Amino acid sequence: MNISVENLRQVWEGRNGSEVVALDGFTHTFKSGRFSCILGPSGCGKSTMAQIVGGIETATSGTVTIEGAGVGKKGSASVMVWQSQNLFPWRSVLDNVAFGLEMAGLSRKERSERAQGLINSVGLKGFERHYPSQLSGGMRQRVALARALIMDRPILLMDEPFGALDAQTKIVMQEELMRLFDETKKAVIFVTHSIDEAILLGDEVVVMTARPGRIKEVIPVDLPRPRSIEMVSTPAFGALFDRAFHLIRDEVTKAMQEQNAAAGALA
Amino acid sequence: MSAARRSKNRLAEKILPTLSIVAFIVAWQLFVDIRHIPPIYLPSPLAIVQALIEMIEDGTLLFNLGATLARILIGFLLAAVIGIIFGIIMGMSRLFERIADPWIAALYPLPKISLIPLLIIWLGTGEAYKIVISAVTAFFPIVMSTYAGVRQVDRGLVKAAEDLGANRRQTQISVVLPGAIPTIFAGLQLGMGVTIILVVAAEMIGGSSNGGMGSLLIQAGQVMETEKVFAALVVLTLMGAVIIKSQQWLDRRLAPWANMS
Repeated sequence: MNISVENLRQVWEGRNGSEVVALDGFTHTFKSGRFSCILGPSGCGKSTMAQIVGGIETATSGTVTIEGAGVGKKGSASVMVWQSQNLFPWRSVLDNVAFGLEMAGLSRKERSERAQGLINSVGLKGFERHYPSQLSGGMRQRVALARALIMDRPILLMDEPFGALDAQTKIVMQEELMRLFDETKKAVIFVTHSIDEAILLGDEVVVMTARPGRIKEVIPVDLPRPRSIEMVSTPAFGALFDRAFHLIRDEVTKAMQEQNAAAGALA
Repeated sequence: MSAARRSKNRLAEKILPTLSIVAFIVAWQLFVDIRHIPPIYLPSPLAIVQALIEMIEDGTLLFNLGATLARILIGFLLAAVIGIIFGIIMGMSRLFERIADPWIAALYPLPKISLIPLLIIWLGTGEAYKIVISAVTAFFPIVMSTYAGVRQVDRGLVKAAEDLGANRRQTQISVVLPGAIPTIFAGLQLGMGVTIILVVAAEMIGGSSNGGMGSLLIQAGQVMETEKVFAALVVLTLMGAVIIKSQQWLDRRLAPWANMS
């Protein structure tokens, strides 16, 4: 299921009537079964882009066409994994994972069985009755992943899902995600500001410019799968890292200069 | 620090609260005995206990405490049901919010106890007036916190629910309402506190009809049975503590996730 994104433009209105162009002329085709990483400086509109594809935000202009998704309401072909997880604190792990099935009207027995299967596959067996507040950050993100995967939608959107995790937990989660991706072969759009992460996970890295966000370059990543964290030290990885790093460094510098200028104008 | 010393410290920390109360009561008893204070001004703790036992034996305590508890329960339940329903509707309907807002804003700061003369004119000094005054007072903190809880629900959770296929009604029932529960419970605790105050105050002002701890206090005070006044105060203190503690216990049972760190 390919996703064609054409000429996306998103304008936010500021409090004093000023306009911020978050996204301008973003055009790209996300191929089915491919893991695409969106890499860019903070504030470049990469999360906004993912939310527009997911039908969570509405673009000011531009189109998102999801091949074969003529029927069903907007966003029903995709599901989002959030950086802040957005787990329901009053629901147990099992009931969080089963939320989507409950909303779809499945019987308790059926949704518990399917939720249990996903809880097992993300390694949370034995924690079904725990509340999110009783879990570590990494475990919460596993719940969020299971809650998204249970929907079995062809497109998985991930908005900096590992951004708040510590370095070790992050590596474990990345490896698990790679395993799950190899098993399910969905179209994944993974938003990140980590160059390592983008190259390690992605089949392609879409590098974005500083605000207003548009595509600076698309770097194909031809590292073999299954991937593992050891690949980070290979020359091929190093070459890709350098290429992405130089692209992103210019943009980060530009973004910082703009912030400084804005701060100067205020002062 | 040695283990023995540490456990000794822990023991001291445990018994200190009890010890401070016991020490205070002993000092009180000694003060009254040694200085020969007339019991009309300050009865000794022993005399208060004696009065308490008498009140239990002749049934006056049970009768008055029962009457007060029943009023508190009915007033609080009325306020809770109406307050929560109003708060939810205000939080979810823009139209209703606009209509209700000026009324709440105007009536919230009014000391509800000042409505007592009007309510006595309308309802007399019977049960209706005592329940209405306490329910009206408790209604405000409950409606305000329910409204705030519904309005301040985490937008991220709503977005996540919608993304997972929840429609508007499902989002309100499965996300907005449970999300508001901790705030609603906080409002219910405030509401319970003012219900207790208002029921006892109404009993004090409303005269002796059908008893109550408030009227017991007033009557004992008027005939200078000071040990009875103290006994009633002790009972009221214990009653308030038991009610508030049970409510907190119930809240934890009903929403265990709300109090987790």
